[in-house]
Amino acid sequence: MTVYDRARIAPAAVPPGLADDVQDVHFVPAPCQVACPIGTDAPSYIGYIWEGKVEEAFEAIVATNPFSSICGRVCDAPCEPACRRADSDGPIAIRNLKRFIMEKLGKSHRLPVREVTRRETIGIVGSGPAGLTAAQDLAEAGFEVHVYEMTDRLGGMMIWGIPAFRLPPSIIREDIDRMLSHCPGIKVHLNTALGRDVTLEQLKSRHDAVLLTIGAWWGKTMEIPGHRDARVIDGVKFLRQVNDGERPPMPETVIVVGGGDVAMDACRAAMRLPGCKHVKVLYRRGPAEMPARKDELEGAVKEGIEIVYNTQPVEVVATNERFALRCVTTALGEPGPDGRRRPVNVAGSERDIECGLVIMAVGQKTEQDDLASIGLMADDRVRTTWSTMRTADPKVFAAGDGAFGGSTIVKAMFHGHRVAYYIKALLDGIPDPLPYRTPYRTRRVPVSQDPKWEIFSRQHQEFHGLGQKPVEFPEIESTYDEQAAKDEAARCYRCDAETGSADYSVKNREEIFVLARTKPTDGVTGPTALSSRLQPKPDPFGPEHQPNLEDIVFLPANLSRLVIDPYRDACNIRSRLAGKLDLGLPIMVTGFDDAASELRHAVSAAVKAHGSAYLGRRAIAPDATWLQVLAAPQDRPSADAAGFAVLAARALAAGIPDKAKTGQLAGIVATRAELPKALPLALERELDFIVLDGTVGIAGAWPELKGRPDYAVLRDAIRILRKMNREEDIALIYFGGVRSGTDTAKLVALGANAVVVGTAMGLALAGEIVGDELGFYSDTPADQRNDMAESFLRALSAEATIMARCTGKTNVFNLEPEDLRSITLATARAVGVPLVGTREVAAAE
Amino acid sequence: MATIDLASVAVREANQRIRDLAAKGEDIEVVNPDARHHIGVGLVRPVKLRIRGSAGYFCAGLTDGPRVEVDANVGWGLADNMLGGSVVVRGNAGAIAGVAIRGAEVVVHGNIGSRAGQVMKAGTLCAVGSANFMAGYMMYGGRIVILGDSGEKVGQDMTGGALFVGGRIQSLGTDATLTDMTEAEDAEIRAFLERYEIPFKGKFQKIVNAGKHLRYPRTEPRVRVMPYTVAASNDYWNARVREDIHVKAEIGRYRIRGYGAGRPLPHLTDIAFRKDVSAFDVPTDVIERVNMGTTLGDRFGAKPISLSMPVMIAPMSYGALSKSTKVALAMASRLSGISENTGEGGMTDAQREAAKTLIYQCLSGRLGWNIHDMQRAEGIEIYISQGAKPGLGGQLMAKKVTKEIARIRGIPEGIDLRSPSRHPDVLGADDLVIKVEEFREATGYRIPISVKLGAGRVRDDIKIAYKDGFDYVSLDGLQGSTGAAGHEVLEYVGIPTLSAIQEAMDALDEVGGRNKMPVVLMGGINDGVSAAKALALGAHAVAMGTSVLIAGGCIACLQCHIGHCVVGIATQDPEHEKRYNVPVEAQNMHRFLEHVRWQLAAVTHSLGYTDPHQITRDDLVALTPEAAAITRLPYVPTRRDGPVRSVKQAAAE
Repeated sequence: MTVYDRARIAPAAVPPGLADDVQDVHFVPAPCQVACPIGTDAPSYIGYIWEGKVEEAFEAIVATNPFSSICGRVCDAPCEPACRRADSDGPIAIRNLKRFIMEKLGKSHRLPVREVTRRETIGIVGSGPAGLTAAQDLAEAGFEVHVYEMTDRLGGMMIWGIPAFRLPPSIIREDIDRMLSHCPGIKVHLNTALGRDVTLEQLKSRHDAVLLTIGAWWGKTMEIPGHRDARVIDGVKFLRQVNDGERPPMPETVIVVGGGDVAMDACRAAMRLPGCKHVKVLYRRGPAEMPARKDELEGAVKEGIEIVYNTQPVEVVATNERFALRCVTTALGEPGPDGRRRPVNVAGSERDIECGLVIMAVGQKTEQDDLASIGLMADDRVRTTWSTMRTADPKVFAAGDGAFGGSTIVKAMFHGHRVAYYIKALLDGIPDPLPYRTPYRTRRVPVSQDPKWEIFSRQHQEFHGLGQKPVEFPEIESTYDEQAAKDEAARCYRCDAETGSADYSVKNREEIFVLARTKPTDGVTGPTALSSRLQPKPDPFGPEHQPNLEDIVFLPANLSRLVIDPYRDACNIRSRLAGKLDLGLPIMVTGFDDAASELRHAVSAAVKAHGSAYLGRRAIAPDATWLQVLAAPQDRPSADAAGFAVLAARALAAGIPDKAKTGQLAGIVATRAELPKALPLALERELDFIVLDGTVGIAGAWPELKGRPDYAVLRDAIRILRKMNREEDIALIYFGGVRSGTDTAKLVALGANAVVVGTAMGLALAGEIVGDELGFYSDTPADQRNDMAESFLRALSAEATIMARCTGKTNVFNLEPEDLRSITLATARAVGVPLVGTREVAAAE
Repeated sequence: MATIDLASVAVREANQRIRDLAAKGEDIEVVNPDARHHIGVGLVRPVKLRIRGSAGYFCAGLTDGPRVEVDANVGWGLADNMLGGSVVVRGNAGAIAGVAIRGAEVVVHGNIGSRAGQVMKAGTLCAVGSANFMAGYMMYGGRIVILGDSGEKVGQDMTGGALFVGGRIQSLGTDATLTDMTEAEDAEIRAFLERYEIPFKGKFQKIVNAGKHLRYPRTEPRVRVMPYTVAASNDYWNARVREDIHVKAEIGRYRIRGYGAGRPLPHLTDIAFRKDVSAFDVPTDVIERVNMGTTLGDRFGAKPISLSMPVMIAPMSYGALSKSTKVALAMASRLSGISENTGEGGMTDAQREAAKTLIYQCLSGRLGWNIHDMQRAEGIEIYISQGAKPGLGGQLMAKKVTKEIARIRGIPEGIDLRSPSRHPDVLGADDLVIKVEEFREATGYRIPISVKLGAGRVRDDIKIAYKDGFDYVSLDGLQGSTGAAGHEVLEYVGIPTLSAIQEAMDALDEVGGRNKMPVVLMGGINDGVSAAKALALGAHAVAMGTSVLIAGGCIACLQCHIGHCVVGIATQDPEHEKRYNVPVEAQNMHRFLEHVRWQLAAVTHSLGYTDPHQITRDDLVALTPEAAAITRLPYVPTRRDGPVRSVKQAAAE
């Protein structure tokens, strides 16, 4: 099976009622999720594990998997070979991570109770993973479900087929208890066998639908001479005995024939039984062809079991003197009907392997005389139509191993979900339901942020093998500890998650992956991908797009303008505001008038270090340059301030106050609405500067969080000045939404002589946005805080100068509007720069 | 000794004769040189070349092995990139004498001009007289011996190597410092002088790099990049903005990452075909029905680059990428019949053998640049800038500057390599004309020479490229990716690919060059549909980089700069590189390229053409107001409304 096919990039529609997220343009089910027959949202639970959110991880796990605790230990985990990291340094240990979560919550955590809400009832024969999965789905849908089990306990092959050293019975009970408390509508009838205690006719009359999940209970044997000898037994039966608690003594040497999971369990169980010294597994193909899960095989080998490949028994030699299995060597021949190459016997390679017992684990079959008598069987299976999951009887459905042959727990659960869907459709009166498709959900968990995610190798679970007392079947492996689980979770690539690149979005990336792994001439993938590529993309901006300085780009130096060396050539950022005030950096700080003293200290240290200025009603420090904001009518210019700025409303009403000392700068603060009056006033009074307030009002608390910045205040100020032909007569200080040195460089290019940062500095000091306020909760040490403020301004300075250098300028103040273009019309209009690739300024809004 | 008289022979022919004579092992004498440029360029034989008079620019440039003597003066760029052999100039040398030499011995008996030995890697540059300003500018290795005065800012921004000054040190450059010299060093220099019969009794002062600027002082925290949608939202102080601010408050500088602009930009996806292409069944033999063959680069008579479709692999360096990845790209390019490009880091033998058509890129730092690889390339490309970081040089973080990378590039190991942004010998458009000529001389006018431009003032830049005599232009939009660059530069410097091609075509139309100088467009082109649109807008071919890497296993985590690439692509760590399965990934890349071919053919055929170059602007409409304004295509937003049919494959006929 490949996960890189058409279905991945163009999944079929999922029927209504199934929770599915594939229509989300920012989600593609990961290879692991697609490889999982029940679509487990592994990337999400792995992400949650890294975040330490165990309950959320638990929810993601059990959402589609009623046997999560069991699967955490013994799932054959088709997700792992599909994991993209398998190609580099080993797949994520998805199963072990599931076990880690289930070990924590599997016993204690209960799911909300789902009561019976429907009249109809369903009878299910057999309580293996297929039957019970269907039971849960149908009970969740509100039906009462009756489960008929011929043995004395629930679980089917999960309990009878898997030895306790891999799967302790308590784990099975854990899952079943969770299911029964979650769904009280599931009624259990133990020791009730079909044909012996109840007939199909009875079930049909009791229930509105019947589901046969009767399993493949019987082992097949090899019809070779001597196979009826008492020392030849079948693997399923052997495991059933052992799993019932028996510990039969073994001869010194035991041979297991077969290469599947039953063979693995049987050989490992035999090895633990009293008297056994050697176990040999004979398999008729090579290691590459062996169907057993790699982990199991490795475990068996570690426990001292010998695997003999390319070997096939041909006769059981049983005489008075000796007991042996006669075998031949095989070679791989032509592919058979299943596509796998068939082993052919090599002539003259016969040899005898002496032993005391032969366990045949060569396949399973279903036998049910009652069903056979009414014609519901076909060979050794219940005859079932895959597309409807129905048998020949319209009221009777079938699923699982009994219907489709021996398989895995997770596939049986898939059958359970699938058949439940079709049964529900019948009971809902939908004659022709949409074909079932495994739904794929995502919980949109952020990617983990471990700096070593690229380096960590696959974490190993501690392996105990046979243990101290093998006959007691102690568990072979430990569960991850917290750290191992977190490190393993950090390794996940997150193939499901959106990337940092719009061009290589998750959808695009995964489509490329599929194309790279399919033939362009297969007639399917090519057309599918082309359809997807021809699908017009939504407008990346759209009418709701708000102007943003991020939409502005610089035109770099290249051929037509001399490139300078941004890494080395100097670039000046110093200036003299209004010809009077020296600024080491045209970035002032505001917003810390009422802040805690530690924050004020950090800001003042940064302002001093960079020769910048603080703009506010209060000075930030006696020795830091201060531009005083005069807001309230009683505010008077302070002699400590290098300058003052009167709010326009006050200035227009009450005029400009006198300077507190000679040489003091005087200015005005105006919003865009105030400009038409405030700017002429400032010019008339020959003020030194104007603070262009792009916020709801600089005098309030964190005004930049109260609305989007209005960049047009700068554009309009320049238009007014230009109209009056007085562009050089007043310095422009812009405030509102400045986040970076790049923003600064753009605003300088647009005509600002300096900018003011408020919220950005607050964030740099570890402030957190709460509503429309900034809160400071971290206990950062004072010296670190000082460093953060200083570093932030340094970074802004470096950014602003590198932008200037990239455009070929050795002075930030040589940047000009002609160096800019906008990538959106909204921003082009708001700031008055042309759209990229054009030269005309778009009409103003 | 054979004699060539430049009074009667053009330089181009003279250089050919010099190479022919040298191949026979004959020494050569050039008379009446008349300060002509490029004399002896491209010579790779250990013969003696005597120039009886003065030579112009790039005398003995791009050579390996000859022993050249010049009786009088030389112009700038003496011994440019000379690998081995020697040059002795009896008079003075102009600016950038010994530029980018990698082992040669260059002796000037007079004075040397400014920036002598710029970006040199190994060998000796010796001036018996004095140097002008910035001798040893950005040198990476080797030694400069100045018997006279040093000039100002000596050793400016040098990284490795040493300068030895016998006269007065006028001023030290940034990050240069004086240090003690050993007796052995002194003895070695004096032996050198003796060998060239230069008497000198004075003392030397030694200048080396002070080591303050070689590494970023603070390491950036490693953070996996947020979904692009976070920054693209209307939330002004969004999580990405906040994270940026926090990181900057920690490290005090701009952030670095891999890939290109991450946010949505106006792009080829914002335009559509006027006809509903999906409404046409695609015949199974569509590839045979469409002529995809494309040639490039014969504008001036060179042997053109021949492509099986109008697609190239975009330039990416060995250094940014592992050697395995470069080999896989080369293999895929051969399998798909297209070209591969070395990018900045030089050419490896493995890459050369794997690729059929290999373009060799020349960058400002001349890292890995040499005459032998020029001569075994199918094309040469002068890099001026790239879409990801126009106006800025390449960046290769220390983790990736391994011993082998350092060796092939000729630089010290383990530095945060910031390549120069500007070519030492290209300060303006006119210099470029002479540089192109030098390359043509070095390669016997056989192979195409292109220029790589990041998109900025495209309208003006394209006209210059046209006049400077390039065979074609590789034009890279803002969406173009890189292995490492400042985040702000990646996002905010340059213009999108869509506007770049439009401006380029407008400019060529203005100078009547539309069908004379082809444009290869790149930057975020990642399928056959976008390629078809690019061709319709006037590109002659497209180049793909990132998408091919993704086909070959890249997971788009944008952490290329760190050097621990989880899949073994953007790494030089052997533990990580061994995760990369070259033959498997080469096949994956190849299959992806074949899908691109199929898509391009399917679109071409559905539009009713037999060659994708027949698609024109008239076949396109714009879906967004931005795209309409940029391209002047009709704005038809309703074109988005109709359902797209599933493309069907027609039954074989």
